[in-house]
Amino acid sequence: MIKVLGVGGGAREHALAEKIRASKYSPRIYWIAEWRNPGISRICEQSGGAYFIGRTTDAALVSQKAKQLGVDMVVIGPEEPNFYGVVDAVEGAGVPCIGAKRELAVIEQSKASLRRLQWEYNLPGKLLFKTFTDLDSALSALQEASRSLSWMQNVVLKPARQAGGKGVKVVEDRQAYLINEKLSFKLGHTEWLMEYMRGYNDIEEKILVEENVWGPEYTLQAFSDGKTLVGMPLVQDNKHAFDFDIGPETGGMGSIAGPDMTLPFITEEEYDTSLKTVKAVVDAIQDRTGLEYRGFVAGQMMLTEVEGPTVIEMYSRLGDPEALNVLSMLGTDILDVLYAIIDSRLSKTIIRFNNVATVVKALAPEGYPDYKDAAKGHEVMVNEEDVERRGCRLYWGAAHLEAGRIVTTGSRTIELLGMSGTIMEAAKLVNNCLDIPQLRGWRFFYRYDIGTNELMKRRYKLAETVRRLYKFRASRGTLAVRVDWIPGRGLIDPSNEVLKNIA
Amino acid sequence: MTGVFALYTFGEEREKWNSIRFVYYGLQALQGRGQESSSIAWINSSGELVTASAKGPVNRLLDIVEKEKGHTAIGLVSAYEEDYIVCVEKPVKLVVAGDGRVGEVEDRRESFRLLGQYVAGEVARGCDILNATVKAVSELDGGYSFIILTERQELVCGRSRIGVKPLVIGSIGFDMGCVSSESAAVDVVGATLSSELSAGEVVAMTPLSIRRDKADGGREMICSFEYVYLSRPDSQILGRPVYEVREKIGEILAKHDDVSANVVIGIPDTAIPFALGYSRMRGLPCKLGFVRTGEPVRSALKLTQLERLIGLQLKLNPISSSVDGKDIVLIDDSLVRGNTLKNVVSSLRRKGALQVHVRVGSPPIVDGCPYGAEIPPVDELIARDLSSDEISRVIGCDSFSYLAVADLIEAIGLNLSNVCVKCFRGGDRR
Repeated sequence: MIKVLGVGGGAREHALAEKIRASKYSPRIYWIAEWRNPGISRICEQSGGAYFIGRTTDAALVSQKAKQLGVDMVVIGPEEPNFYGVVDAVEGAGVPCIGAKRELAVIEQSKASLRRLQWEYNLPGKLLFKTFTDLDSALSALQEASRSLSWMQNVVLKPARQAGGKGVKVVEDRQAYLINEKLSFKLGHTEWLMEYMRGYNDIEEKILVEENVWGPEYTLQAFSDGKTLVGMPLVQDNKHAFDFDIGPETGGMGSIAGPDMTLPFITEEEYDTSLKTVKAVVDAIQDRTGLEYRGFVAGQMMLTEVEGPTVIEMYSRLGDPEALNVLSMLGTDILDVLYAIIDSRLSKTIIRFNNVATVVKALAPEGYPDYKDAAKGHEVMVNEEDVERRGCRLYWGAAHLEAGRIVTTGSRTIELLGMSGTIMEAAKLVNNCLDIPQLRGWRFFYRYDIGTNELMKRRYKLAETVRRLYKFRASRGTLAVRVDWIPGRGLIDPSNEVLKNIA
Repeated sequence: MTGVFALYTFGEEREKWNSIRFVYYGLQALQGRGQESSSIAWINSSGELVTASAKGPVNRLLDIVEKEKGHTAIGLVSAYEEDYIVCVEKPVKLVVAGDGRVGEVEDRRESFRLLGQYVAGEVARGCDILNATVKAVSELDGGYSFIILTERQELVCGRSRIGVKPLVIGSIGFDMGCVSSESAAVDVVGATLSSELSAGEVVAMTPLSIRRDKADGGREMICSFEYVYLSRPDSQILGRPVYEVREKIGEILAKHDDVSANVVIGIPDTAIPFALGYSRMRGLPCKLGFVRTGEPVRSALKLTQLERLIGLQLKLNPISSSVDGKDIVLIDDSLVRGNTLKNVVSSLRRKGALQVHVRVGSPPIVDGCPYGAEIPPVDELIARDLSSDEISRVIGCDSFSYLAVADLIEAIGLNLSNVCVKCFRGGDRR
């Protein structure tokens, strides 16, 4: 009897648990999460395993549990356990673990370190960046840039370290008549970031300013066994909270994939380049740390006019909701895949994905992501059989089961998955189920537009526009070449400035 | 003819944004839809809903724009005098900026007050803002689009069940959503166009969510005048780029025309794309024929005869070298009273033009607009009274012809059943 211990309580972990439960080896499943996920706890019970509530970032707790239960492997779902060395501790206790060791997970934990790594190793798909340790220098640099032709006029402002997934702002500042409004927001947000980062003393850099780019985004997830990287089907997540791509950045409100390995608006060539780009990051961090990366890894990518496939951020895990798309498409027994990762046999393992289109949509209580207190503590009412009758699957996320009641814990509560021949058909299935889950005395919100014809057409158009531009650059040999002009200094290659800054 | 615009901010840092200036530039972009009245309403730092209005173009509000601050704002520019944002005080305070006209109410402001009061009443009875507004749109017929901002900081916008007036939604970063009569204004404030609302569609924004719904029985009847005349050429309506439609109109005019001429001239600004399409199709050179002085005054929108004449004379001065000694195909967008063309033709003759053949890029206007577009009284419509030959003689040109309704529909590229052509002769076919 194979025994598996999973870590993390979201919908991604529910999908992992379900997939593991469906394995031909009929494993016994144990799980640890901060709250009682109704879906995962049910699966544990059915498999003869058990569900524990505990801190998933507590390395000692997880490794002791693994040892005590005598499990054959531990599977890490979210990123935080990776950051806190849970994988290191589990492996240290002699139990194989699917997850990124602390030093490897730095590619996700420190957005600044990822950029530095890319520039130091001269990897493809990188962006101009600059980090700041103190407020005054950040403010004066942004002020100066808003009057110049420097790349720093159009920026993405981020916390230099992954900090609860918050604080990313995109400020494109190209209308001369709105320059004061944009600048004052940039400065205001920089102050906010500095205050927000006060709680994190493990890193000197506080603020990361990145070049703003535009284009279609997509996630390339992969299995890594330390030697081989096997790519999964591309998925497009939607980060804006609300319909029309409006509103604050969330963990992801819904995702589309299939029916092939690539998305309808991304070419196979772009898939290959993206896989190489992600592999380059994994190779570099393995080289830097001397460690083998065994687990899930993902590149949150954007097709940009500057370079084509470009890394926006890296994940040291599967995406959520992207995991639901790829796991439901995976045609190979997941335990065979996980064992191949543990034994470094990926290159000899055939991994199949079924040709089916998948759409996932998240339901979150109103208040998520910026007013989480308002989103917490609402009772969920849902007839899961209704969802199945309408041809979809339901996954539990930030929902806690206690005394027969399920209540929201403040984040995305439920994710619904639809599968069909095309993305638009799958989206119709899911849209038809969006009204089934309800909150008592409060409201869910979700995105109706993901996977609809209107949104797909916009994504196609955007991808085509960007593709024409970067292909043209490629034909002229100016891919990833940037030029600024600063009065009195003349032509500047901002890449050299970045290299100088990291030296 | 009215332009509406709104900017809504989201997230815990929303108060860092000052939306008023975004709305100001959005309204500037929509100024072609009217410049007799301008107003902006916003939520101020104490959370109150306040309005500022001025006679004339939106730059009359510049003082306020520079002084005030608000994270959420809406605005309106109108071709009517004293046509400002409507404020409903009770039972729930809200403001309404509307384009078109609600129901049969003659006075536009009163018609939108009706809409606002309906929504306020439903909300006061405990109805959710989205449901309240869908109910209002279902009950209140007419051709209109609107934006409502409530004191509770809810923004709701939508289009009537037959549409008629356009309304689009755009997005900026992770912070803002905007609503606009035209897509060009979305571009102007640096936003990305997300969607054009369909007939009967209603969208509600609160700090916590965006929700959408539709009134039952919606059927699109977009105003064909938007394509011919009203909208900016850098806008798109129902997915059709206005510029492309206008060039296509020129091409169709050319296809049915074999008059001999040396040069094609379009009357600025609207008819220039018509002239370009015509010129390309017939292989005749297109020239810039006029230079404008002063603000672009939309002559069909001016109210008194005197203002119309002043507006026109200030507006267009012919470029002699383009017209002297030439046979000219002169293209205009529409023919309402004929006074614009009469003056233009006469000024061309003074600069040495020989033959002048007038082509109009829309069908004859013979009827008023049931949805409140400002077409003059029917007895002032020259096409209703005179044949093309007679019109030729009145305006002093050598030949004159219109675009047929079927050709207009072809150029727009939508189904006839989805386009309103009620004001045009032949427009009653459906």
